[in-house]
Amino acid sequence: MTELLLYTAGGVFLALLMGVARGSMRRWVVGAGLALLVVFVAFPFSRARGFLSRDTIDPTLLGLTPVYPLLLLIPLGVLAALMLARRGAAAGWGGVLGGAVVLLAAGSWYAQPAQLVRMQPINGLMELLVALGVASSVALLAFSRPKQRLPILLAAALAGVLAFYWFHAPQGGGAYLPKSLGYYKLFTPTAPESQTAMVEAYNQALPELNAIRRELGQEELEPIQSLADLQGAIPQQASSEGYRLVQPATTQYGAFGLFFLAGIMLGAGLVLLRNPALHEPDDWRAGILIALVAGCLIPAFDATEFDLNKLVVGWPFLQQFADRAWPPLLADASTERYPLQEVLSQIAVTVQMALVGTFLAAVFAMPISFLAARNVTSGTPLMRSVFYATRLFLNVLRGVPTLIIALILVAAVGLGPFAGVMAIAIHSLTELGKLYSEAIENADKGPVEALESTGAAGVNVVRWAILPQVLPLFVSYTIYNFEINFRSSLVLGLVGAGGIGYFINEKMASGQYDQMMVGVIAIVVVVNIIDFASSWLRSRLV
Amino acid sequence: MIEVRNLNQTFQTAKGPLQVLMDVNLEIAPGDFVAVIGRSGAGKSTFLRTLNGLLIPTSGSVIVNGTDITKLPKRELQKYRRTVGFIFQQFNLVSRLSALDNVLHGRLGYLPTWRGLLGLYSEADYQIARQQLERVDLAAKENARVDSLSGGQQQRVAIARAMAQQPTLMLADEPAANLDPVLSEEVMRTLKRFNEQDGVTVVINIHALDLALKYAKRIIAFKRGRLVFDGLPTQLTDSIVDDLYERKELLA
Repeated sequence: MTELLLYTAGGVFLALLMGVARGSMRRWVVGAGLALLVVFVAFPFSRARGFLSRDTIDPTLLGLTPVYPLLLLIPLGVLAALMLARRGAAAGWGGVLGGAVVLLAAGSWYAQPAQLVRMQPINGLMELLVALGVASSVALLAFSRPKQRLPILLAAALAGVLAFYWFHAPQGGGAYLPKSLGYYKLFTPTAPESQTAMVEAYNQALPELNAIRRELGQEELEPIQSLADLQGAIPQQASSEGYRLVQPATTQYGAFGLFFLAGIMLGAGLVLLRNPALHEPDDWRAGILIALVAGCLIPAFDATEFDLNKLVVGWPFLQQFADRAWPPLLADASTERYPLQEVLSQIAVTVQMALVGTFLAAVFAMPISFLAARNVTSGTPLMRSVFYATRLFLNVLRGVPTLIIALILVAAVGLGPFAGVMAIAIHSLTELGKLYSEAIENADKGPVEALESTGAAGVNVVRWAILPQVLPLFVSYTIYNFEINFRSSLVLGLVGAGGIGYFINEKMASGQYDQMMVGVIAIVVVVNIIDFASSWLRSRLV
Repeated sequence: MIEVRNLNQTFQTAKGPLQVLMDVNLEIAPGDFVAVIGRSGAGKSTFLRTLNGLLIPTSGSVIVNGTDITKLPKRELQKYRRTVGFIFQQFNLVSRLSALDNVLHGRLGYLPTWRGLLGLYSEADYQIARQQLERVDLAAKENARVDSLSGGQQQRVAIARAMAQQPTLMLADEPAANLDPVLSEEVMRTLKRFNEQDGVTVVINIHALDLALKYAKRIIAFKRGRLVFDGLPTQLTDSIVDDLYERKELLA
């Protein structure tokens, strides 16, 4: 509870803080309102347990509305607030009213005891969403082509219908994405008798369970008065029949999002009440943007398990690490350990990996980039198809990160820098190929036309009109690419592809932090030297 | 002798087809000096680029000494183009190369492709290139990078490049539009000299009417893709010019 209050207070405080800046506050009412609607429909609020942990699902507020109809006040309150916000002056009342209603409704749900509910998957909803996604992405094409609008829209509708049926068919999308069918669920209340029956069944089975727990040396469990006292799972049978024990107070990220957003709405409303002039004409657009950002950020924080508390827990390790890493151990003659020596030679290997990789990439990218440049390949249909093939090749390969190429190559050719060099060369080839071919496409057309006019053959036009123009750019891109390659070759060592990264990984794993520190300092120094040298060189070129 | 027959040129643009040249017929005699006038967008540049095959017309033919160059295969077209010099408003030089290298580009059409790729020009090519640079008074600048030269000097390098092709026809698209009046006169005088001394046929697009009247032996005029005047400079009356540039409509 305190956590939820903290989130609410945080939202109010943030809104008041922004009120100080005298920007439009109505946009925060609108943005928080729209985001609240998203939270209400799509974000998990409480937890509902089944028998196994994989039976656990986290219902949304919309899904819980049949269980607790008062929750309907949340969207109604928000809609009322949005309606009031449409007329600038009343936005303050809207924010206060909407925020308060949301807080009260969600708070009273939070205070409900645990209860048994039945889940009702909505069949076809996910299929419909997928179909709408497919249809609208096809329909987007119609925007830029007003002439073919009708056939494109027809095709979009057809694609949507096909997507729906494919997804819905027994061997269709559901076979690949089994969770997605009926993913969205509504929850309906159950009769009180079935709840008491479950309590009785639990209490009856308790002696047997406690006997087992005694043998395992675990604490014995008390008989329960109601399902609210039930710890852990509901019976397997009930779980498989679609019953769940929903625990309103076991909040999920949607709850934190809701209380925070309601706090913002309330706070913004309060500021607006004091100063009703704080609104601007484009508040709705800004509000939609705010809602989009909030709608993406809130689940992202949850999915990445963002928790500053972990840093507090991990603090002793950081302290210990710092103690053991400083001062760095440059050399220790008594034990015949010379980390500095090793670091310098490994850094040299790393730079050399980047050098060879970049060189190979540049040599191969040069001819390939001409095949991947639109303006050079416009002559014949054959050249055109070569162009598309080259582009496709470069685009697909560019999607594979250097690290993954290195992982595969290490497995193929063994540990060591050679795998790293090849990984760098392959990935850089795609990067340089793209950069080079863009330089070629941006070359001045004038000299090309002039040399065509002299009757020079096609390859000679490329050689004398385009190459002199792009060569300095090629060199500049290559130097920049070397800079990037040096940094990626640092990481390649971690997967065993040689260089300083390997050294650091090894020292970290064996707890020799003072030796590892030498490598880290060396990397910082060399990265800066290379950055500086590269930008100096490139500035001389252009 | 150049014969242009029923020439039509239509471009496909985003807004639909755009007819740039409409049923153009004319003949150009060897050694002539023709100035093409007309408003921007009247089709002058398109006409010029059709004469050396940079653009292939939608219909009609361009017959040069008996062969229709619009129907030539690529190789033959390249062979024809090396006899046609082209001078551009923007000079279109390769600015990172030296003046001599740029003039040598005029000889590329005469080299086998592989020698061209390696830049292996013959001694004779060098002689021709140096000679042309001398004729435009830039012998001293042959090793200077083109982007270090002034606008007037750059256009003279471009003229030398075109002359290094030893052309029988010289096309010039607004060669003086980017230059001040003195340099414009100089470019026109240079072209006139080549026309008289070497017997090169010159066809030039030009905005400056006074220069056209002063240097050309013959004037042709385009209005909205149609050939509307073809005659001696003396025959070009004020009323024709007013009609050509649609001045009355502007004043009204």
